[in-house]
Amino acid sequence: MSAALADPEAGRMALALTVNGRPLRVEAEPRSHLGDVLREGLNLTGTHLGCEHGVCGACTILLDGEPARACLTFAGACAGAAVTTVEGLDHDEVAAELRAAFNREHALQCGYCTPGMLVAARDLVLRLPEADERRIRVGLSGNLCRCTGYAGIVRAVTRVIADRRARGIAAQTGEGRALGPVGAGIGQGIGETIAEAVAAAPMSRPVPAVPVASADLDGTFAPAHRFTQGIELAHPPEAVFARFADIEAVAACLPGAVLAGRPAPDTVEGGLQVRIGPIAATFRGRARIARDEASLSGRVHGAGSDAGGRSATEGEIRYRVGPGAAPGTARVELDVGYTLTGPLAQFGRPGLVRDLAGRIAADFARNLDARLSGAAAPAPTGLNPLRLAFALVRARIAAWLGRA
Amino acid sequence: MKPAPFAWERPANLAALLERVATAPGSVKLIAGGQSLGPMLNLRLVEPDLVLDITGIPELRQARVEGETLVLGACVTHADIEDGRVPDLTGGALQRVASAIAYRPVRNRGTIGGSLVHADPAADWVNALTALGAAVEIAGRNGRRTLPLERFVTGALEVALEPGEILLAVRIPALPDGTAWGYVKHCAKIGEFAHAIGAVRIEPGAGRGRAVIGAVEGPPVLLADARPLFGGRIGADFAERFDPAAADAALRAAGMADAVERHVHVTVLARAVAQAARPNPLPLPEAA
Amino acid sequence: MSAEGVGARLPRKEDDRLMRGRGQYVGDIRLPGMQDVAFVRSPLAHARIRAIHVPEAYRDRVFTAAGLDGVLPIRAVSGLPGFKVSEQPVLATGKVRQVGELVAMCLAPTRAEAEDIAASVVLDLEELPAIHDMLAAREPGSALVHEHWGDNVFLETLVDVDIAAAFDAPIQVSRTISTGRQCMAPIEGRGTVVQLDHRLDQLVVHTATQMPHIVRNGLSECLGLEQGRIRIVSPDVGGGFGYKAILLAEDVALCWLALRCGHPVRWLEDRREHLTANANCREHHYRITAYAERDGTLRGIDCEATVDSGAYSAYPFSACLEAAQVASILPGPYDFPSYRCRTWSVATNKCPILPYRGVARTGVCFALELVLDAVAREAGLPPEVVREKNLVRPEQMPFENITRKHFDSGDYPQALARALASIDVEAVRARQRAGEPDGRRIGLGLSIYCEQAAHGTSVYSGWGIPMVPGHEQVSARLTPDGGLELRVGAHSHGQGLETTLAQVAHEILGVPVARTRLVHGDTAMTPYSTGSWGSRVMVMAGGAVAAACEALRDRAVRIGAHLLQARPEECRFEGGHVVGPSGDVPLEAIARTWYRRPQDLAPDTDPGGLEVTAGYKPVRDSGTFSYAAHAAVVAVDPDLGAVEILDYVIVEDGGTLVNPLVVDGQIYGGLAQGVGTALFEEMRFDARGQPLASTFADYLLPGPAEVPMARIDHMETPSPYTRFGQKGIGEGGAIAPPAALANAINDALGALGVEMLHSPVTPRRIVEAVLAARTGPQQAREAA
Repeated sequence: MSAALADPEAGRMALALTVNGRPLRVEAEPRSHLGDVLREGLNLTGTHLGCEHGVCGACTILLDGEPARACLTFAGACAGAAVTTVEGLDHDEVAAELRAAFNREHALQCGYCTPGMLVAARDLVLRLPEADERRIRVGLSGNLCRCTGYAGIVRAVTRVIADRRARGIAAQTGEGRALGPVGAGIGQGIGETIAEAVAAAPMSRPVPAVPVASADLDGTFAPAHRFTQGIELAHPPEAVFARFADIEAVAACLPGAVLAGRPAPDTVEGGLQVRIGPIAATFRGRARIARDEASLSGRVHGAGSDAGGRSATEGEIRYRVGPGAAPGTARVELDVGYTLTGPLAQFGRPGLVRDLAGRIAADFARNLDARLSGAAAPAPTGLNPLRLAFALVRARIAAWLGRA
Repeated sequence: MKPAPFAWERPANLAALLERVATAPGSVKLIAGGQSLGPMLNLRLVEPDLVLDITGIPELRQARVEGETLVLGACVTHADIEDGRVPDLTGGALQRVASAIAYRPVRNRGTIGGSLVHADPAADWVNALTALGAAVEIAGRNGRRTLPLERFVTGALEVALEPGEILLAVRIPALPDGTAWGYVKHCAKIGEFAHAIGAVRIEPGAGRGRAVIGAVEGPPVLLADARPLFGGRIGADFAERFDPAAADAALRAAGMADAVERHVHVTVLARAVAQAARPNPLPLPEAA
Repeated sequence: MSAEGVGARLPRKEDDRLMRGRGQYVGDIRLPGMQDVAFVRSPLAHARIRAIHVPEAYRDRVFTAAGLDGVLPIRAVSGLPGFKVSEQPVLATGKVRQVGELVAMCLAPTRAEAEDIAASVVLDLEELPAIHDMLAAREPGSALVHEHWGDNVFLETLVDVDIAAAFDAPIQVSRTISTGRQCMAPIEGRGTVVQLDHRLDQLVVHTATQMPHIVRNGLSECLGLEQGRIRIVSPDVGGGFGYKAILLAEDVALCWLALRCGHPVRWLEDRREHLTANANCREHHYRITAYAERDGTLRGIDCEATVDSGAYSAYPFSACLEAAQVASILPGPYDFPSYRCRTWSVATNKCPILPYRGVARTGVCFALELVLDAVAREAGLPPEVVREKNLVRPEQMPFENITRKHFDSGDYPQALARALASIDVEAVRARQRAGEPDGRRIGLGLSIYCEQAAHGTSVYSGWGIPMVPGHEQVSARLTPDGGLELRVGAHSHGQGLETTLAQVAHEILGVPVARTRLVHGDTAMTPYSTGSWGSRVMVMAGGAVAAACEALRDRAVRIGAHLLQARPEECRFEGGHVVGPSGDVPLEAIARTWYRRPQDLAPDTDPGGLEVTAGYKPVRDSGTFSYAAHAAVVAVDPDLGAVEILDYVIVEDGGTLVNPLVVDGQIYGGLAQGVGTALFEEMRFDARGQPLASTFADYLLPGPAEVPMARIDHMETPSPYTRFGQKGIGEGGAIAPPAALANAINDALGALGVEMLHSPVTPRRIVEAVLAARTGPQQAREAA
């Protein structure tokens, strides 16, 4: 296949697509989604982009005859597929009936959601056995309209389904389709040569050689999120507290943390790399350490930011070491607070990060216990020292509709 | 909102995929339907050097029955299950879960394997299949292994895949006759991520049951032995014996500190139990 | 009424191209050599900029404030006494005051590459305390958004009409009520494509806007360019709702860039930018007390209202329009003798606020209608009785209310009565008493509002903002083949003006709607207009179309009379023909004569010919008052907080309806947005001013399954002041639903001791309140 589609421009891949019935050779960057391939590459601007994360439905097109999100279908994912956009439905019988009904029922105002809405409606017309209003509303839920309140849309789709069923046209059942994502050919590989051409690109992005600044650690810190965790350790409180004085040892217990320097007795520089699923957050910064011998307590307050200064975090761990349940054991009360700013913070599902923070704290406790017991220091796993990070990440990865 | 640059490869067979996963330099992400990873790429939350498209591999796009177990390749889509293109050993339970995932255009590309590897705590398959007692088949260059789902999903968005491994298939045991099944999810709007999920698989005759409380902050809360939820004993009268306080205690023990959250999750679980106790299978749920 | 004239339920002529993917939105414009822009935006709500580090390789592709010579900040100043001026820099200088504020502009052949460059720019920011809570921001000692102000208040206002006289009322009910911050979320975002036309030495700015001429004013002021060097073209626009009635810093930046680069440049807002970076709406906070007699008669309303205006005053409406408007419209459709309202427009480290469909009315209606229900509960009266007692009565029309709003016409009690009959109060109450088998609880909610619309010079000159509407003008031209071209300065972005204004023209000239073309959205081709906002277009542009067509008609009659060899006084105009004593001549023949056979014209023919620009203002410019009564029935699941809307009735009086199909569409659409405000939509911020939603998975818009199929009932009391008796109705659908639905939820859950006073009423908030009420009614009130 790639032989027949030889020599794409550097950084681009060549694809065979059938678009609205016409076989085409298309070149695109691998990162281009089908919406951009159609709009920017082929000037088929009827496919609209409303969110580029799969919720609004404006970009819904037909892939091998079935509705799919253009914004979540990358160019290489549909090599060889048949793509039908709204421009390709001019002579489609169902679309024609829908257009007439949409016009009659005032099912569009600004028209921006309309192409995707028509594609989704067409699919419902084909599949729904009868014109049930509730099922039509639910079936159209993947397409947002901000103008019409859906009244005209629901009426139009209802009428078209009722009409067709009254004319004896039965619903389709989707038999005979191959298993797997629509538009994805089976047994067709693409790409090794393209991959090599492109793979270098991400590495060669220029980065300005400047130190990343981090927040000033002098002020008071009011974290946006806070949790406490208790750790039982089979060592006397004084021994445990003494261990907390060894910041290198403590850092070694914190998964993903690496120390890079100690510019002042109470200050360390370094970072922490945190992963939440596929998201890797890497923060560099500094932390300040304070201890109170009398109360066996202390505080680590740190701040850092990612390479571009876009996402930043500030965190604080307060600890207090006290006697454990059994004689000669200790209980460490950790009070962890953290705040995140930037794109990683701007989601609404903090629970995912609390889970991560809890897991980091548990690993920390386990590593600390092992270290106090004389075990070897846990190796920081797979960390590139250049991609250091610090602190706990609060991210809500709107994990999208939960559906890879 | 465009992704950072990445290379794209589409191996044509499993051997090529496993080789590439094991040896490719830089950061590598596997993509199936792309309905979860796609938004993260577009938002630049994920910036891999190489994306490996696994949907061209025939082994991943198969479904078969092995005795009392349904084996679904990782790239079988929600719509494939919804439409009945795969065998069913669950009396329609899988079909009902599938048809209420997100929206049809998403279901047409979103895959069961991708959903499990993504391991969002609020996703349907992570919870439903845990309750059903499913397992996953994992493949690497050095061989294959099978893990029960509850050991596969280790945290929010975290799974027990080792470097170089991929999820090959999902093994779903049959729901034998006489097994009661209930699955309820609570969303503020259709197609939205669940705020709470309750799932129960109960064998009144055998006195056994599994229950899952899902859409929590971490992996599903699984009660592999659900008897404590029913006063210590599961029988034909299990629905009447359901004890919300026991469910609440389980959630407390799992670390759910927020009383409102616990109330919602316990309520949803109670409704899953009530659904399981109904004599007739439900019609297909509302699906977007 | 003809089949195509005023009042015809005519399907829209604009639909076909939009349904075939042939609409042309700003993102669809392709110009040779065009390059894309991505912005580096502030990740912090409040910070000092220490440095912006640009990689050497991108020096010529990244632009910061330091290079933006000659560009002035955006200033939207209100002339109201005490208003404090904010200056919104086009690219940040010194300090950033909101997440998403523009810091640098990156140019590349594609958007993806421009984002690559943006990602490589490193910001060195010193974070400052963020002001995220408007009430705390009013307190002395708060950090300051604009240091030189000395406080964080754009404007404070006070209206007091004898409030002390109400203090001895037997019923006194106080509540704290608030509405969440929202994003307007049209499905198409903003976007701007700027091209320098070297031939005309003119910037051609294609931008998705509701007000092309106002954008030209603003760009001219910020860029220091004479207006003739700027042409604004607003193509098909994918929804506005107020979001596209604001001058963005991005627009100014793109113009500067096009002047500098000489090739076309484009910026298309993506969804994350819309949600996190650009303009919010709706965040109101009320402390409100109602004074009433035991029979429900209102003695007075006393209120303190605070609006979170965000960091900057948005152009052209300014940061104070929303809060100050609250004081003037809070009395709503009710007549009572005592009133006090103090308002604050507060600056915070959030996106600027701007008028969203319904503007301040949605918050005002929410506060007033919820407190009226509280009065009803306190007095032991059904909620409808309290409203019946206090609504303005038809015999009072025209009516001047306590804040001197002039109600033009209408029968408010009848709207309520029809809504009650339609929703069938008795049946709902019976079902409520019977209880639901599934344990859900039934509730009935009412909400009534009036919508001052199309208000003009006398009202807006008082605000002293950069935009005051005067006469609306329309140019009408008969083409040589007898077609009609209408050139209007307002803009259609879903309202259907291509059809409805053609209907108005048809009413006068009889030209088929299919043969009338609307030219709009282009400053080079249309008369000046403040644009489409404030539910004004059908009143103002509709009136102007009629005026222009009437002038054309009179000229046509004179030409036709000459062709018929009759005196003009002997002729009349009918059905597109000039009819004389001995025959008739169609408009086509008159047009052909003027353009192609001038030798047949009378020597003293009017040299103005068949092209007319006419101006229009209603007889009174204080606005039309459309109004509606909404009634909702809900089922609430107290354990999960799920709300199902079982029935929804709207009795609306929009005066004369030009196209009932389109009017219904406006009401249905407004209702859906109102449902969003009521139950789903909220942009929350954390204590550092970080917005907590950046996708539609976090910011929930209602979908088809969440919006009810409302039943709409029209009353049509013509406005005495407008050309056809039409009233503005574009926003009303979005005003009443939050109050109607919250009242219904409170009716459903009242017996549990729950009262919800904050929108959106989310499942989580309901369950919280229900659980709190189980532990004690006092705590429940606080939780709610």
